[in-house]
Amino acid sequence: MSGTDRIVIEGIGGVVGFGCGVSDLTRALTGNAPSPGTLELSTGSGPFTIPAFRADVSRLEEFLPVRTLRRIDHFSRLGLLGTHLALADADLPEAERPRLGIIIASGYGAAGMTYAFLKSFINDGDISASPTCFSSSVHNSAAAHISIQLGAKGPNLTVSDVHLSVPSALATARVWLAEERVQRVLFGAVEELSELIGYIRYRTRDALPAGPMTPLRTEMETSIPGEGAAFLLLARESASRGGYCTLDASTTGTVPSPGFPFPEPGLLVLGADGSRESGRRYAAVARNARVACYTPLYGSMPAGPAFDLAAAALILKGGRVFPSPGSVIRDFPASVPVGGDPVGADRISCLTLAGDEAYGLTTLGRVDPQ
Amino acid sequence: MSVAPIAITGMGCICAAGRSLPDSMEAILRGGRSPAPPVRFASGHPVRYPVFEAADFDEPPDLPRTGAFGLHAAREAVADAGLDRRTLGALRVGVCVGTTVGTVVSEETFCRGYLAGHVPDMTPIRRILRGNPADVIAREFGLSGPRQTVVTACASGTDAVGIAGSWIRAGLCDAAIAGGADELGRITYIGFISLMITDDSPCKPFDRHRKGLNLGEGAAMLVLAPERVLRRSGMRARSFLLGYGSAGDAYHMTAPQPDGAGLRSAISEAMATGGVSSTSVAFVNAHGTGTPDNDRVESRVLHDMLPGIPFLSTKGYTGHTLGAAGAIEAVFTAACLEMGKIPANAGFETPDPEIGITPVREVTSVSGTVALSESLAFGGNNSVVVLGKA
Repeated sequence: MSGTDRIVIEGIGGVVGFGCGVSDLTRALTGNAPSPGTLELSTGSGPFTIPAFRADVSRLEEFLPVRTLRRIDHFSRLGLLGTHLALADADLPEAERPRLGIIIASGYGAAGMTYAFLKSFINDGDISASPTCFSSSVHNSAAAHISIQLGAKGPNLTVSDVHLSVPSALATARVWLAEERVQRVLFGAVEELSELIGYIRYRTRDALPAGPMTPLRTEMETSIPGEGAAFLLLARESASRGGYCTLDASTTGTVPSPGFPFPEPGLLVLGADGSRESGRRYAAVARNARVACYTPLYGSMPAGPAFDLAAAALILKGGRVFPSPGSVIRDFPASVPVGGDPVGADRISCLTLAGDEAYGLTTLGRVDPQ
Repeated sequence: MSVAPIAITGMGCICAAGRSLPDSMEAILRGGRSPAPPVRFASGHPVRYPVFEAADFDEPPDLPRTGAFGLHAAREAVADAGLDRRTLGALRVGVCVGTTVGTVVSEETFCRGYLAGHVPDMTPIRRILRGNPADVIAREFGLSGPRQTVVTACASGTDAVGIAGSWIRAGLCDAAIAGGADELGRITYIGFISLMITDDSPCKPFDRHRKGLNLGEGAAMLVLAPERVLRRSGMRARSFLLGYGSAGDAYHMTAPQPDGAGLRSAISEAMATGGVSSTSVAFVNAHGTGTPDNDRVESRVLHDMLPGIPFLSTKGYTGHTLGAAGAIEAVFTAACLEMGKIPANAGFETPDPEIGITPVREVTSVSGTVALSESLAFGGNNSVVVLGKA
């Protein structure tokens, strides 16, 4: 890629607990986020429910015939809806679709079909295993359905790095564009909250939250699992017709010591997901930075950083910061701008921490720096 | 469109053919193979389909088997490259690993317990969540570069190698450990049987009487580095990653496009980025699973694009190792280029008139300077790497 040919985010598509599309995302970011729903876990000892942000994919019927959707599972429907919303947002001509490269990031993959496949032979014996569930349980099933429905015959990649799936996949998306393998990459993060994943989340967290997520309060466990899909249509600037912002960098690696070289005086969007451990880790690395956090809008999930990027793109385009929901920050050692504050910088970085040692950092910039 | 070659400075492999790359090469050139019904797990299926299980190895108990395979192969590759921890620590080294099961958060015993209304032990789930294959390798060697686990089904290993090369060219890292790893377990075994694409006898890639694949397991890793890093780290090139191409069929979830258009695009891209023409191709290490569909499509493409060039499938020695296959076949391809010979296509006896071309039937000397290794995958992914002789 030439020194001046940057990467532009041309379109955004998202489906999550608060709704779908840029208008719903903007509404949620400006302070109109709905409350979480629930996920019912059925065990032999009786049903119980946990709070969860579930995504409604019914709007997919605006883009694809019901008949086509009949054999497509929820995970891939999430991906397909995110895809069509992003392409519509970018107003990408149909003729461009076959040349798209596709990169999907997912921490847990087609979790619902994986569970359904296991149930098929656990309940009815090995010989009764469901071939349909098995073939739909592969991690790249959403990418495959997207390429089939779009007729996209470019390179097609799915990556799964749990919480770092998004920044990791974006790093490769940037390389594809820099190498000119493709002019555009349809990038998406997809996460499905299956019953089994919900149960694992329930077992791995300290307690069920009694209220909304407050990820910047490090003394409380407030994580609520979520599901959804966030898509970004990325293009080389020379091939682009404009967009929200530029994708300037994305990297993963080992948390540096003594600290991160965060762009100053930009805004840092934190992927803190409401768990106590997560809050402490972010507090340690983001000390004294100017931060925002939007996870309470969509919940805790490996695809979450892609929603952070969508929010950051809207901030860069609009020039003003959205309020961080649930940002009671009594003991959080950073400054949190209130809603409506000027963004005050040409760049926003989104930080994702995975455990104590690994991180992902993605930086977006204004299309026209001031 | 051609890109800078990346040196392959070290290789490691574990599979049914051997616990190391030299052992595996000795076995496949000898023609040794021993598919058998699985011994590490049982199945209630009335037919005992043969598989290629890897022999016991130094498997850390706290890791999923997939991560353990990857780590075993990475240790061999790092040692082969002549690297120690101090040298690795001085470089920004990335890790890119392909797998199909290494990131799947499901475990049969846990799931059975949940469905039965018990409170299942979380140990296997915690092991999976800590066992992402790229993370396992990065942690073991204390690597600071980017890490990525590629899950493009059976093309994962090939994609991981190609992507790592791109990372190095783009300056994301100084060097990379790249490859693929996959374990064989009940879930995969039962799943492939349900699809009715497994052979109940030893697999016969490209043979007229082929009935399907045999599953396998293992891992292979390559240490990749550019010329500038070779000079300062003391590594030498065993061979080169010259080109990489990948393309989607956009056709069907499990069946390849009948005219092989996606594979044709992937081969074209790989050869163009590698700056090579068909006249310099010594051989093709084909995907060659032994399923009727795959072998028909793949041979049609080879017949049209690379006529007369020797080709083979090594899956008759390893089984189909899924996310590891592309990497295992890449190290076999590089080793064959070094040795100037390729093994026989195990299992092939009767030419298929529908295919029209035949793979090599015996150990064959090769003289070209480059070779291709191909992978086709569920979801319509086609990926190809071009490797060159040092």
